[in-house]
Amino acid sequence: MTDAPVTSAPADAASDIPRNPPQRSLTLHRALARVWANDRGLWGQITAVSHTTLGLRFMATALVFFAIGGILSMLIRAQLATPQGAFLDTELYNQIFTMHGSIMMFLFAIPMLEGLGIWLLPKMLGTRDMAFPRLTALGYWCYLFGGLIMLSALLFGVAPRDGWFMYTPLSDATHSPGINADVWLLGVTFVEISAIAAAVEITVTILRQRAPGMKLTAMPLFGWYMLGTSVMMLVGFPPLIAGSVLLEIERAFDWPFFDPARGGDPLLWQHLFWLFGHPEVYIIFLPAAGVMSMMIPILSRTTILGYGAIVAAVLGLVFLSFGLWVHHMFTVGIPHMALAFFSAASVLVAVPTAVQVFAWIGTMWKGRPQLVLPMYHILGFFLTFVMGGLTGVMLAIVPFNWQAHDTAFVTAHLHYVLIGGFVFPMMAAATYWMPLITGKRRIDGLGEAAFWVILIGFHGTFFIMHLTGLLGMPRRIDVYPDNPEWIWLNLTSSIFGFVLTIGFAMFALDLILQATLGKRAARDPWEAPTLDWAMPVPAPNYNFASLPLPEQAACGAAQAALTLARGEGVLPGAPRGRREVLVSTVSGARPLHVAVLPGNTALPLALSASIGGFVLLMLAGLYALAGAALVPVAVLIWVWARGMAPSGDMAQVQAAPGLRLPVHFRAGVTLGQSGLVAFLVANGTLFASLLFGLAFLEVVTPGPAAPSASVEHLTMGWAMGFVVATAGLGVLAARASGSGAALAGLLVNLLALAGVLWIGAQLDDPTRHARDALRAVVAGYVGLHLLVAAGMAGFVLDQLRRGEITPDTPGAAPAWRLWQEFTAVTTLITALVILVQAGVV
Amino acid sequence: MRWLGLSLLGPLLWALLFVAVYGAHGMACAGVTGPEGLGTGARLTMVGLWLAGLLAHGALLLALPHGAGLQRFLPRAGAWIGLGASAVTLFPVVLVTSC
Amino acid sequence: MKRFAAYPLLVAGCSGPLSTLEPGGPAAADIAWLWWGMLAGAAVITVFMVGLVLLALGAPRPVREGRWTLGLGLGLSMVILTPVLAAGLWVGERIIPRDDGVVTVEAHAWQWNWRFTHADAEGAPVESENTLHIPAGQPVDVLITSEDVIHSFWVPRLAGKLDAIPGRTNRARIMADEPGRYAGLCAEFCGQGHARMRFDVVAHADWPPVLNGDGTEAK
Repeated sequence: MTDAPVTSAPADAASDIPRNPPQRSLTLHRALARVWANDRGLWGQITAVSHTTLGLRFMATALVFFAIGGILSMLIRAQLATPQGAFLDTELYNQIFTMHGSIMMFLFAIPMLEGLGIWLLPKMLGTRDMAFPRLTALGYWCYLFGGLIMLSALLFGVAPRDGWFMYTPLSDATHSPGINADVWLLGVTFVEISAIAAAVEITVTILRQRAPGMKLTAMPLFGWYMLGTSVMMLVGFPPLIAGSVLLEIERAFDWPFFDPARGGDPLLWQHLFWLFGHPEVYIIFLPAAGVMSMMIPILSRTTILGYGAIVAAVLGLVFLSFGLWVHHMFTVGIPHMALAFFSAASVLVAVPTAVQVFAWIGTMWKGRPQLVLPMYHILGFFLTFVMGGLTGVMLAIVPFNWQAHDTAFVTAHLHYVLIGGFVFPMMAAATYWMPLITGKRRIDGLGEAAFWVILIGFHGTFFIMHLTGLLGMPRRIDVYPDNPEWIWLNLTSSIFGFVLTIGFAMFALDLILQATLGKRAARDPWEAPTLDWAMPVPAPNYNFASLPLPEQAACGAAQAALTLARGEGVLPGAPRGRREVLVSTVSGARPLHVAVLPGNTALPLALSASIGGFVLLMLAGLYALAGAALVPVAVLIWVWARGMAPSGDMAQVQAAPGLRLPVHFRAGVTLGQSGLVAFLVANGTLFASLLFGLAFLEVVTPGPAAPSASVEHLTMGWAMGFVVATAGLGVLAARASGSGAALAGLLVNLLALAGVLWIGAQLDDPTRHARDALRAVVAGYVGLHLLVAAGMAGFVLDQLRRGEITPDTPGAAPAWRLWQEFTAVTTLITALVILVQAGVV
Repeated sequence: MRWLGLSLLGPLLWALLFVAVYGAHGMACAGVTGPEGLGTGARLTMVGLWLAGLLAHGALLLALPHGAGLQRFLPRAGAWIGLGASAVTLFPVVLVTSC
Repeated sequence: MKRFAAYPLLVAGCSGPLSTLEPGGPAAADIAWLWWGMLAGAAVITVFMVGLVLLALGAPRPVREGRWTLGLGLGLSMVILTPVLAAGLWVGERIIPRDDGVVTVEAHAWQWNWRFTHADAEGAPVESENTLHIPAGQPVDVLITSEDVIHSFWVPRLAGKLDAIPGRTNRARIMADEPGRYAGLCAEFCGQGHARMRFDVVAHADWPPVLNGDGTEAK
């Protein structure tokens, strides 16, 4: 990610890149289609890595999970329709509401927005695919397999039953025996691989693959929103992953992180969960707000009001939303001053949200809103989301929260926010982009009817639920025989709940009818100025026959589509028979080099299946075998990395007259390196979450002092010093070049790893005390990173042996260097933290 | 690229200050730094941190150049967001009476 | 069934044994006022916003960006939010427990019952299951603990809820203005018996009350 000039690229911005001469569109299309097409038949579905295919598949799968979650919600409403609710037994009811929440959050909302970003971003930003197509596919398979594991648990009656936020000790091995909780912890973590993968590639794609000359300051707002979303995912998901790993280790091996009898703390889980859980709400909202910011001006025949203010609001939301997690914990007995901080932050977060809402309404004032179907859903959004936002402010007020917390009021609020703030915008987006997805026009009437049924059903269900909550009805109860005052409220909610479901079914039917029976759609049906419509409908796999220049993008989608199809933009066609995209500078989008993307491969499926094998063995309690199952995972990752080795035609590419660009093997900072930086941000957050755990147990957790520990001995200090020093030597080796340095890097990393293993053997029994357990986990984290560093050094050594690393082609060396530096720093911090905590330093 | 980094400064400063004051409060209320509860020392520490943080926010605003365009606007907007967030989310250090 | 029949027409009102809107003590009353105030504000804002959106559905109008983003987005929302936040903190400061030597009782939760303890006239502990005895007309602190998983102590007509967390002791302040019986429940999901984990708070005019050996009230 550098703006440093590169040889043979023009010194200034992309605006002076000349056009390519026009070619026959059909010839270009055929050549591109051949290179970018999926393989044929079912095998083609398995090996597909195209963002168009996978983005749609993400969204379609998410819709299936939405339907399943919706059916579960109908069971809940049927149960609550009467006070005795003899319909489900309590055990099953608990499984159903837990799965309803978990499915809607982890298997619907998050994958839906990932799919939307993956499908739409390359089209809107003017490139041909995401930065890491294989990673897109890996994410999809992990999502699918993780989701299927959770669903089968429901079918076999062993689904999670402790509520979707899995509070321990209710979810620990004592109070939740059986594999129910493990299904949640392992399944959700498995699915979250896709979230991290999507976050990494969305970040890199937005920052480095925009069309030449599309400045960051002028990119479509959806790009800003998804950039905010993906950065939040990089920082927001690691605490959840850390918490889930800890809780699973506690359940499997009795390490007492959350057990108050042994120095642990149930509140540590809540902090880690909500450190993820609140940003999660904005992770879901931002992409929805992003599509609103695109659709509202286009459907109002005007331009967005307050572009800069909206970008600033996104910036504010991204940060502020990490300062409110405690408002889910107002009733756990936290001091009033701390509550006041988080209350103020929770109130304050309404301000950037209000800025956006008023910018949208102002945009509509400025233009002439057209009452087409997407606009219906946008209006539904305004009504619903405003009300949800207002109850959100109420819940941010501490004393009111003490009353309303854990009641039906909160259930109502969160559905107003999530359906208002996510589902309505997604329905607007679906109806808006369906012509691009299917190439078909909508059949009039059904969609409008579905909207009204959904709107009435929704408010009928959830509006009075506020009152139900204020009349004292808690969440997650299955019967209420002593409270006749709740009967009519609940019955009304249940009846309208079924209306809502019918509405959603009508909506789904409308989509299906459009896809199957609709007439051919015209290009650019909304007369949009954005690049996503500057292509044929339905969108071809490669999106653009040539990548748009600023002057082409400026003349409207319909006009741009013609010149782009004729190959007048940058990097026309596929003359070298490989998938090529343009990589440019972060801010100005000046072309830097041409990245050659991988083609169709079954490797993502194989890798996610082998991870799935590990998950299943863990679920079965076969821990030794599960450890062994990591070997194929490691082998496949090696094979994966081999796929990135320099190969093929290394000649410079003529992207436009006078613009010759190197291929990425010979370029400065590649997409892969940017992706590694993004990944290390997430990884660093995971590490920070573990350190937060150590500090939290030390400072906040009540209870008797921890027993004295082996790390207090001086020899341990020396051993840690040894590990830090050897990891540091690894940095020197990674910065040097040549086989000798790589071999030295391999050896010092193995030495450091041996040191960690020795320390691990001396550490106190991790089942003794939570602090000891967490120390062992941190030591394991360091050990794992040293192991990977050794593997990367070995990989570089192998590349040197094969002659792939030359002065021109750095191969995997820069990646190893980054990783080694990260490892050395985390090792140093770990040693310091443990020694300071033990009072040695 | 640089302007993007500058835009993060204000919010990052808020995050840092928030962690520092929240941490100081946590340690005071847990009795790590002295007798349990909000003694004068703990209160002065937190208020001092807060005021120093606000000054830093102000300094950041003064240091950032004015000008048109998002590249100039966003860093300043970020600085204002940070200042506003620090002022609003941490003002309880002078108002709330006890742990 | 008698109570059942009496209710259908009453749902329009806000009463009920667990209703936060029928407060029986100062904390619940303060919060109820907070709620009615916020509800009124929210209703006005909703109408205002919907009105703005509906007015947009016409011919284009000249708009000034600053009015919408800075004026309405930043200015109006801060003007509305600041007093709400201040009111919340003020009410919070009024109702949190303080070290002022009020009567203290204990609530210990386990799956799926409550054991309450108060001191009798001699200061000896008196235990009772699922019925908490408190004096009426004066503030009472409840020390809340848990045996197994997280529960939550909630008497909606008296005050907000506070969690019972294993390994911790939480202090909640409640007060009943009048003698009488107030319904309470476990508000945090705690497993199979969660829905039935109810209890009663009995506020006595005479304190300490005269009870039978098993904690029930003496006639």
